[in-house]
Amino acid sequence: MELTIDQRWDLVERISKETVEVGVYEPSLKDALADVTVRPATGIPFAIAVIYGFWAFFCEFAGTLFTDGFFCKIFDGHWLPWLQGVFAGTPAWVFNIFVGDPLADNCFEAFGVLSSGIFLAIGVVLPAIVAFYLIFAILEDVGYMPRLAVLVDTLLHKIGLHGYAIVPTILSLGCNVPGVTAVRPLETRKQRFLAIVLLSVFVPCGAQIGIMEGMIPGLIGWVFLALVIGYFGVGWVINKIVPGESPEILMDVPPYQMPTARNIWAKLWTRTSKFLTVAVPFVLLGCVIVAVLYITGAMDAIASGLSPVITGVFGLPQDTAAAMIAGFLRKDLAVGTIGMLAAGGMTITVFQVFTAVVLLSIYFPCLATFALMIKELNWKETLGALATLIVMVFVYGAILHLIGLSGIGSSVWVPLE
Amino acid sequence: MSNRAAKFGSIYFGVFGAIVLLFGIAGFVVMGVYGMEGVTWGPLEMSGMFLIWEAIILISAGAMYLSSVSKFGEVRQLAKSVAASIMIWIVAGMAIWAMIAGSIPGGEEGPWFNPPVDFIATYAPPYMPAIFLLPFSLAIIYFIRSRRRSVTA
Repeated sequence: MELTIDQRWDLVERISKETVEVGVYEPSLKDALADVTVRPATGIPFAIAVIYGFWAFFCEFAGTLFTDGFFCKIFDGHWLPWLQGVFAGTPAWVFNIFVGDPLADNCFEAFGVLSSGIFLAIGVVLPAIVAFYLIFAILEDVGYMPRLAVLVDTLLHKIGLHGYAIVPTILSLGCNVPGVTAVRPLETRKQRFLAIVLLSVFVPCGAQIGIMEGMIPGLIGWVFLALVIGYFGVGWVINKIVPGESPEILMDVPPYQMPTARNIWAKLWTRTSKFLTVAVPFVLLGCVIVAVLYITGAMDAIASGLSPVITGVFGLPQDTAAAMIAGFLRKDLAVGTIGMLAAGGMTITVFQVFTAVVLLSIYFPCLATFALMIKELNWKETLGALATLIVMVFVYGAILHLIGLSGIGSSVWVPLE
Repeated sequence: MSNRAAKFGSIYFGVFGAIVLLFGIAGFVVMGVYGMEGVTWGPLEMSGMFLIWEAIILISAGAMYLSSVSKFGEVRQLAKSVAASIMIWIVAGMAIWAMIAGSIPGGEEGPWFNPPVDFIATYAPPYMPAIFLLPFSLAIIYFIRSRRRSVTA
């Protein structure tokens, strides 16, 4: 039997009358709460509270409890003296590479691969990474991250990205390496290029944040402000220059749910182990290279070669060139170097410290991130990213230098004990 | 939620929201006058590098409570109060977490773990405003349960 179109529709109506029950949908409290957290008027204050909680937990867990509470004591009081004893009879260059400064009484200032390298990787960065990814995993599993993506979608569209780009951006606050790999779900090559450049340059990693939090707690807010301005300013420019599309996407926003310990643990372990296997070798390699540069005198030669740029364009003391070179290898190491140089007698103003830390953040991604950038982008795009970086760092550095000439933050910076 | 519970909730969170808002404004004033050093007034302390953010969150939470009091029985209005309460729980929770994190290690020159007397002393006042607001914000649980009962009834 063949039915006409009208007969088919009649049949559909009859079946639906018998099978579908129509009622008024009463949203549950969970639905209403989900709605409250994506509407800008209530969602933005809620997001501020969540990010505050994220940050406060991070500082107390990584800084107060583990690094300051236990690891400093373990590494400075036991590990460093033990290393100094074990390497006591070795040639000076071996001692310098593996243990560092023979007069150092703490691992932060020793700069050896087994002293500062291990201390930074395990004592400073690891607690920061664990704290960061623990909270991130909870927020993901609760279902808050997609809502944050919806909230920032309009803002990120201004720079050619969409709301989902907030996930790799926040992920990069832990370590840029998983952040760069997390841009793959973005729709177009242009969006992936944009996201990789912005997050590898303007998003400081957990290691760097950990060091900044200990070294310049009063300036860290200003550093973040400068980086956020750069993220959106440079993003807007790149979006205008780089050809390609930035399409809209439909995003699935799941309901809020209780996170499970098994999922949290799996995510935490996967991300932390990736940090341990990919980024930590670069921390150790960075320490070796910096030690070799100092031992051979190459650091002094490079520093004097770079001095016209460092002092003339950026307005920084010439000695900070060493930190800038260290920044090619590890940014956290480089920020720490500024603290060490100041502790060692280098005169540097508060604004110069601010400028140096901002420039260290933006002038080049760390070696591990750069290696991954080459993998994720083609050579043409990588060269484009490098050209963008070079232009940007000169413009940014010169602007900060000009602001500094006004006399702001001209008091001499005293490193914290 | 029953009409009686809704009316009670409306009055309760109207008063509580105003107090939360006042604490937030006070945080701003303290930040402006004394900076991060802040002030300590009896058992109440307003200080620290996060003071400005705590003030912003309390002002927002207070405003959300106040905007939820009209037709408090409706689920969307109740959700605003729940979100505001969660914001207070986050700020107070992090203050408590800071005390816990600070109470365990024995300090730079001290033993590995804090001796019992110092451990307990870490939890002594003064406290930040959110800790005082925390118990009163827990009243939202009663209204969530009240709504759940009326939905299942």
